[in-house]
Amino acid sequence: MPSGMTVFFQAVLSGVLIGGIYALIGIGMSIIFGVMRIINFAHGDILMLGMYLSYYLFALAGIDPFVSVLIIIPIMFAFGALLQKVFINRMLDALPQNQLLLTIGLGLIMSNAMMLAFTSDYKILTTSYSSASVTLAGISISEPLAISFLITAGITALLYWFLTRTDTGQAIRATAQDAQAAQLMGINVKRMGMIAFGIGGALAATAGALISPTYYIYPQVGSAFTLKAFVITVMGGMGSVVGATIGGIIIGGTESVSSVCISSGWKDVVVFAVFLLVLLFKPAGLMGKSRM
Amino acid sequence: MGSRLSNIILLLTLAALFFFPRFVASPYAFHIMILLFLSTIVGTSWNIIGGYTGQYSIGHAAYFGTGAYVTMVLMKDKQIPPWLGVWAGVALVIIIALVIGSICFRLRGPYFVLASIAVAEIMRLSAMNLKELTNGAEGILATELPAFRIGGRVITDFVSKTPFYYISLVLAIVTIVVAFLVLHSKLGYCFQAIREDQDAAHALGINPTFYKNAALVISAIFTGIAGGFYAIYVGFVDPATVMSLDISVQIVLVCIIGGIGTIYGPLIGSILIVPITEALRSNLIAEAIFKTGMVSQESHFGSFLKENLAHAHALIYGILVVLVILFMPEGVVGFQRKLWSKWNKGLG
Repeated sequence: MPSGMTVFFQAVLSGVLIGGIYALIGIGMSIIFGVMRIINFAHGDILMLGMYLSYYLFALAGIDPFVSVLIIIPIMFAFGALLQKVFINRMLDALPQNQLLLTIGLGLIMSNAMMLAFTSDYKILTTSYSSASVTLAGISISEPLAISFLITAGITALLYWFLTRTDTGQAIRATAQDAQAAQLMGINVKRMGMIAFGIGGALAATAGALISPTYYIYPQVGSAFTLKAFVITVMGGMGSVVGATIGGIIIGGTESVSSVCISSGWKDVVVFAVFLLVLLFKPAGLMGKSRM
Repeated sequence: MGSRLSNIILLLTLAALFFFPRFVASPYAFHIMILLFLSTIVGTSWNIIGGYTGQYSIGHAAYFGTGAYVTMVLMKDKQIPPWLGVWAGVALVIIIALVIGSICFRLRGPYFVLASIAVAEIMRLSAMNLKELTNGAEGILATELPAFRIGGRVITDFVSKTPFYYISLVLAIVTIVVAFLVLHSKLGYCFQAIREDQDAAHALGINPTFYKNAALVISAIFTGIAGGFYAIYVGFVDPATVMSLDISVQIVLVCIIGGIGTIYGPLIGSILIVPITEALRSNLIAEAIFKTGMVSQESHFGSFLKENLAHAHALIYGILVVLVILFMPEGVVGFQRKLWSKWNKGLG
């Protein structure tokens, strides 16, 4: 019989681990918002596509979901960049409401097209380690969660390096700070938009692939993650990568702790309540400034 | 279009709608018409806050669901007939709208949209979790309705769809008339001033918070009534069908496709969307494809269509919205107006 304290620590730890994956979703949305000032309502649906890709790569080719990330990242980068080129780039000067509705429409098309192709049946990707766990100092950790957290941390570090150290990364950050000034400095803003949406899409799909061994896979799974991505992005300050990382971990922890302390049915209510409080009292996000 | 001509068309349409049940017997046709009116009611009421006042609430499922749940719970648990219970629903909807307004109207633009979604999600999750009251995810099923009597005489016992047809038709007309009156009153001018430029409106002495709340309350009342009607018509409520994000999104999309901020926009949007989605849902489209002989029902592709097309009815929403946003951002009504003015210019 584990003591109350152990249960609590266990909840915090698994919350932090799942929070790492939420962070990946949030960072993607944050970069898209930072560069284009567009709230991407299709974010969760892109994540859903990543889940299906990972499922079929596993079911048909036997590729492990953690390895298939390497295949999914380039495919979904191209997919995101294509969405940007075909749809979003035409809407850069439109009303923010219309941009938002466009992404809602794109998300509906993605989830319903998947439903048309694969029905709404739940799919389960069972690997040899899906329910395995390791015990550390009396606290047991889900193995797939731990691996995906490590991968997430690696990707986040790589992304941070890309954004701060490479020319393209700096151009993206410049666009996020002031698109007009960036354009005057000779930065191709539309191209940066494509890269940003590509990165956002790739990150969301990666998150989808990473959680595919532990979650049900179905076409409608996306909207719950879209909502979480909003919460994380706003908490971290729209457009901030570091903020989104912290926001993701806070949300993961809050969810996990409140499902242990209150009940799993009410955990999302707690998350949304926290979200409203942040919106009301610190609308620029917990980090203060909304910059990358 | 001459205003006399359009008045004549309007009167003829209304007359046709009132006599529709005399000439059509198909319950399926009734069902489509009732859903069409319902969609017009919620679309028109969303238009008051979203279209006229410019506050894009993507949380209207909160009001729709509250109206539906209150009406249903009062009928099942307290034997209060729905035509009385719905007013309790409206009262609660007004309170909720004021609470939501006081939270969300401090925020602008995308932040307001996100806050409205968050509040609606909290409401949905509460409906899921307050099991003693709402029966949770399983929902509440009503088997029969009490007969509607005036002075002991039974007016209708709600067995056929005809009473539902007339109730929804009258509700739709009332909602459109109210929206029209609001739009052309001082209230409506204040709403539009806030939509065009909130700070300028404020500088001119229009209190944005007050008028936004007023718009939200008017909008919420009709959405709540529509929710109550829907619950009774379908005889079933659960969080997924009356409170989900999909409901909120569909309400907005009907307006966007028809034409936001116009009186007839939600009606046009509903006419475009409701019949197609319902035909998909009940597999009429798949059957029509088989009838043309292009695809045989027994073929692999045929059975695929038969099984899957019904599930994908929201696909049509997605495709229409993307097309409308890209090619006619003012909706079908706005597009038609533009064409009309070009045509007139061409004549002159």
